[in-house]
Amino acid sequence: MANHDDASEKQDETRTGTTEPRKKASFALPVIKGLANTLAHVLRREPNTIHYPEEKRTPYPGYRGEHRLKRDELGREKCTACFLCATACPAFCIEIVAEEAPWDDREKRPRIFNIDMMRCIYCGMCEEACPCDAIELTPIYNIPSRTRGEKIYDKEKLLSL
Amino acid sequence: MARGDTPMTRWLLNGQEVENPTGMTIMEAAREHGVDIPDFCYHPGLSIAGNCRICMVESNRSPKPIIACSERIADGLEIKTDSDVAVEARNSVMEFQLINHPLDCPVCDKSGECILQDHSYTHGPDRSRFVEDKNIRHTKELGPTISIWGNRCIVCTRCVRFCDEISGTGELCVVERGDRAVVDVFPGIPIDNAMAGNTVDICPVGALISEDFKFEARVWNMDRRDSVCGGCARGCNIEVETLDGYVKRLLPRENLEVNDWWMCDHGRYGWRHLYSENRLTTARTANQELEDDSATSTLADFVSRAKKVAFLIDPFLTCEELSLIHGLSSSIPDSIVGGWLPPKGTAEQFPSGFTISSAKHPNRRGAEKIFGSKVFGKDGKDLLKALDSRKVSTLIAFCGGPAEEGPGSSWSEAIRKARKRIVFSVMDGDWLKGASLVVPATAPLEKEGTWINEDGRLQRARSCWKPGDEPFCPELVRLQQVQMACEIRTRCLSAAGVFRELAENIKAFSQHSHSDLGDGGLPLSRRRARVDSKGGTR
Repeated sequence: MANHDDASEKQDETRTGTTEPRKKASFALPVIKGLANTLAHVLRREPNTIHYPEEKRTPYPGYRGEHRLKRDELGREKCTACFLCATACPAFCIEIVAEEAPWDDREKRPRIFNIDMMRCIYCGMCEEACPCDAIELTPIYNIPSRTRGEKIYDKEKLLSL
Repeated sequence: MARGDTPMTRWLLNGQEVENPTGMTIMEAAREHGVDIPDFCYHPGLSIAGNCRICMVESNRSPKPIIACSERIADGLEIKTDSDVAVEARNSVMEFQLINHPLDCPVCDKSGECILQDHSYTHGPDRSRFVEDKNIRHTKELGPTISIWGNRCIVCTRCVRFCDEISGTGELCVVERGDRAVVDVFPGIPIDNAMAGNTVDICPVGALISEDFKFEARVWNMDRRDSVCGGCARGCNIEVETLDGYVKRLLPRENLEVNDWWMCDHGRYGWRHLYSENRLTTARTANQELEDDSATSTLADFVSRAKKVAFLIDPFLTCEELSLIHGLSSSIPDSIVGGWLPPKGTAEQFPSGFTISSAKHPNRRGAEKIFGSKVFGKDGKDLLKALDSRKVSTLIAFCGGPAEEGPGSSWSEAIRKARKRIVFSVMDGDWLKGASLVVPATAPLEKEGTWINEDGRLQRARSCWKPGDEPFCPELVRLQQVQMACEIRTRCLSAAGVFRELAENIKAFSQHSHSDLGDGGLPLSRRRARVDSKGGTR
């Protein structure tokens, strides 16, 4: 809009003499369309709600639920404790302490890997930052707990998910 | 730009006519004008090797690009650092350096402070054309504290030159040739000299790794504070790196007046006692543990009611703490002050001129300036005698050293003879048994204040603690609170404030202030030119 051509606008004004009032918009048709939509939902047979604890909704692909740590083909954790997830995390909810890995092909692994799920904002930045594809957000969304302590997931818990 | 009688050379840098002292290398001269030329093998403290080739620039005197680290400026020389030729040359060198370099930045301890990473980001191509297999080179221990991860080595030979020129020990060498070249030690001769840790600092990549710091922390997560090493009377300028308030490693900081770019391994690894099991962190009386606040009030109680008080100071205390002790001792009539010194260690001198002092404490000179030059000599002996003859009823002793046995056998015996004894100690030990009050003391690295090194240089040490997150009240504050309880002080000041008082009271310090000292400190006798013009010199 900033680059609007002033010269041509002036020309238009001189041609028509005055600026015409805008046409009155008709809202009738959209309103009818909307009401028809509502009516269609009212008359539809199956309900939109589900009986939650018995029935479970399948999340859409890409849904960001609880984290898990992946294992490689030998069953070892893929994580190399590079701290990139903790660095990327905007909520500072990942705590890692590294140790030397006992395997020949890997130098480093996490001794402690804690995620504070109460603090996590489920943004998925950790998953994106991971160079080893070791952490991912699962579609698990029913995540209540009785205590706050339970929501700090340690390495074993994250690997078992 | 004229600098006295130094002959100057006029030359062209990126089309601009500039002037530098004759004989300077292009790289140093360009850096003086704010033009940064990348380097790997160049280090201001080492000889010029010119083997990494990353500093190539275009010159009017040569058909090919030349290396800026070894070529010197000359009249009429025209250097371009960002022409197509120079950029292309740097780009190619980066691609070449990265041919055999593994992509293990995520597990490499150097990542985040790696020169190869930085230069790859700034000067390198974004992809490699290399399709063959990378070379595998050895990963092994070179010495008790240092390992080499050969795959990461770019053979800049900084470490080899360091061992030849600075430590003079020559343990390291380059073995093999071409793309298999890698740094190694001679069989059976590990690298274990007292300056070995510096090779890890100067390694531009993560090839040399300190076993002490391996996998401890990622460097970008750590907090850094400029401080001074308290390991010996040399007072090397250091950077203290902490994670969540805990020291993770010490690095040397450049100060050409004191330690150049280096520090010794005794200082570098000499902080583990801060977190040992025997570290004293809570105050206690003879029969119960005390909260931090009640320790201070108990202490104030002792001091205000005491008669025949003696103060036993140590050379680990900062000038500020000593000034507060001086204030207390002069407010109590008939008080005596003596000092104890830790046993002498071994002194070491290296070919580069770097020295490790035999005096394993940071501030003997400061204590002598404040309490007189005899405080560790005759005054100390007098205090020992007074203790032996049970003339001292209340003793306030300080022990800031890392030794668990306190000030040593003769003192420990004598201290027991004081009727009431109040001990500030870093470490817990048997010698503290039966003390009326034991107060946790700050160790070097935890103190905020100034020390005077053996050359009489006043330098600022800063605490590694997070402000507001101190595990216990430091002496600097506690002594002021005691002074307030004794009504010889109205308010609690920062270290800089206490130093101001010290400068008012004691002539030797009168020309200095904390802000004046800057990062590198100043000789006690001299002050900055800025202050000179105002008030004249002594």
